[in-house]
Amino acid sequence: MEPKRSTAPFVRLAFTAALLAWAAASHAGEKDPFEDLEKPKREGEGDPFEDIEAPKPPPEKPAPPKPKSWTDDLFGQNFTFKREIMLQTSYSDGELYNRHSVGFEVLKKWSTPTATVAAFNAQFRFVRRDNPIEVSNDGEGMEREGWYGEFHNFYLDLYNVFNPLMSDEAKGAHLGRFNFRIGRFYLPMGLNLQTDTHGTVLQLSNERNFGFERDWYAGFWGTLNPYLNYDLYYLLGSGYYPKFKGQSGMVGARVSLADSFNVDYGLQGGVALMAGERLSEMAVMRSPSVAMRADGDVVDTFRAGLDARYRRTVPTGWLTFTFEGTAGRDERDDVLTQLYEAEYLHRSRKVGVAAQFRRFWQDIGRDPMMPGMKRPDDVDSSVALDLTYYFRNDITQSNLHWVKLNIERQLQRQMGSPETVITLQYYRYW
Amino acid sequence: MRRLLLALAAVCLLAGARRAEAAVGCTLSNPARDLKFLYPAMTTYREEARQLDTMPGGKEMFEALKERIGSDLDPVYETYDTPYTLYTVYRGEEVIGIVHGVNVPGKGGVIQVFLSMDPKSAEIRQLVFQRLESPAARALKAEAFRKQFEGLTLADFYKHDYYRAADPQSDKDKVGRIASPVKGGEGSEDFAASVRGVRKNLILLDLFCYNRRHEPFFERAKEALAKVKAGEK
Repeated sequence: MEPKRSTAPFVRLAFTAALLAWAAASHAGEKDPFEDLEKPKREGEGDPFEDIEAPKPPPEKPAPPKPKSWTDDLFGQNFTFKREIMLQTSYSDGELYNRHSVGFEVLKKWSTPTATVAAFNAQFRFVRRDNPIEVSNDGEGMEREGWYGEFHNFYLDLYNVFNPLMSDEAKGAHLGRFNFRIGRFYLPMGLNLQTDTHGTVLQLSNERNFGFERDWYAGFWGTLNPYLNYDLYYLLGSGYYPKFKGQSGMVGARVSLADSFNVDYGLQGGVALMAGERLSEMAVMRSPSVAMRADGDVVDTFRAGLDARYRRTVPTGWLTFTFEGTAGRDERDDVLTQLYEAEYLHRSRKVGVAAQFRRFWQDIGRDPMMPGMKRPDDVDSSVALDLTYYFRNDITQSNLHWVKLNIERQLQRQMGSPETVITLQYYRYW
Repeated sequence: MRRLLLALAAVCLLAGARRAEAAVGCTLSNPARDLKFLYPAMTTYREEARQLDTMPGGKEMFEALKERIGSDLDPVYETYDTPYTLYTVYRGEEVIGIVHGVNVPGKGGVIQVFLSMDPKSAEIRQLVFQRLESPAARALKAEAFRKQFEGLTLADFYKHDYYRAADPQSDKDKVGRIASPVKGGEGSEDFAASVRGVRKNLILLDLFCYNRRHEPFFERAKEALAKVKAGEK
């Protein structure tokens, strides 16, 4: 039997088609508010926005720069001026140390019409110190009571210095590989090159390890390959002032993970070597064997270092773990340094807590002592707790404003007795 | 006397200092390598620092940014004195690209949204997340997600404001068709934060280097939305 044909599907189909046609017609009747802005769809018709919609394309070759005065050239573009105020009071063993300063930082970059070719950075402070005691962020200040005009960073970077000798293909292939630095900046040991400790109370290892955290140097830095960066410098080894007192200076080299590891995994790290001669009055005072072998303050120096920092996001903020370790020698004294730091920053970027343990061991005890002299101990170690409230804590660190309480408990001292140092700091950088 | 002179010098420096453009804004972690990745044919690049509070008409630009982004600006990540860095990429003497990054707050932390742009058409060539602190980081960094932004302009974001209200199903709403790779999942808020970051970046680029060419779309979207709202009433 032939199945009975129903008309219902055709009726439903016809109804649906009619509905769609009506919907399409009514939709077509609505004017798209952007239709007349879309030049390609309305070509040939008068478009009141055509002149805005199709602006003149930029010239293929950049126009020659208009002549500018030297002041406009220097201060008008890519010139940064930052101001700084630091008020710090430290208390230890009945002594009160005040260290207050105003300062500024300039950063200038220079460009040709097609390339940024150089950058200059300088940091200055006018500091007032009263009754200096040993605190972790002012090792150099112990002998600077009263007013003192200080410079910190002072260096010039020249980018892609071999570009004038290269073809366009070679420029592209070696982009970022050969940058030249000359001036005063952080030592290429540990994480200092990647860490701005200009305003913080907690410091990294270099100042205690070498007697200075910055030095005068010249050399190359850049990209080694997609995974590694390099720094290779000749350092004067003189610390604050550029001076020669017979030292040969040092060679410093560091190979570090590319910045992409920090971005992708929160990981920074590197290995470094420094070798040669430096000036260090402190190293000579600290160890009789160094004093015996050093030529005045000229200390034969070798360090190999390993460093790492890992930042991890946690639900309420960020945790950061830092390690710096070096091994080597001052003259014939073996030296081993360790620094561990854990840091928490709340998501609001308003509150931070950090704890640091540092230990500096030196094999001081091998040489005979002068009669009546006490042999210095082998270890300097301390633990510090740092609490910070941030008024401003820009992620780019271009605006910083905080109050900080730092408590350092010295556990072992090579010279003197262990004390507790309490520091209160107000800092603003803008 | 020496102390007095030092103190005076310090005060003069502080008082006389003009607020200068900061060059430490949302920068590429390794400009040479990152730009080479985005533009393999490049030979050189220029960096330019921009900061609204030091630019002529900066206050008006900041107000414009607030209005065009369509949501409140974050008091930590998006202030008037936030510095930005603009990279112009060259092959020989030809401009072949523009790259610019912004920070936006996400649920899991900071999101750094970099856009590589066609210098002529102002279309997105590539979206790159530099720092992306989110449980959804892997999904958001996936090429399939980022590819959805290629070819978009700021005009598409302004048009989205209208279509979202008037015709959510419209196939002209390119931004509305961007599919979240983490819909309803952990870190899904960071999808919205990322799209907002792209929009903010495009607005700043329109202000900094495209001579506000997308303004007619913003104005038209505003008018059309007002009509839609008036019709609803």
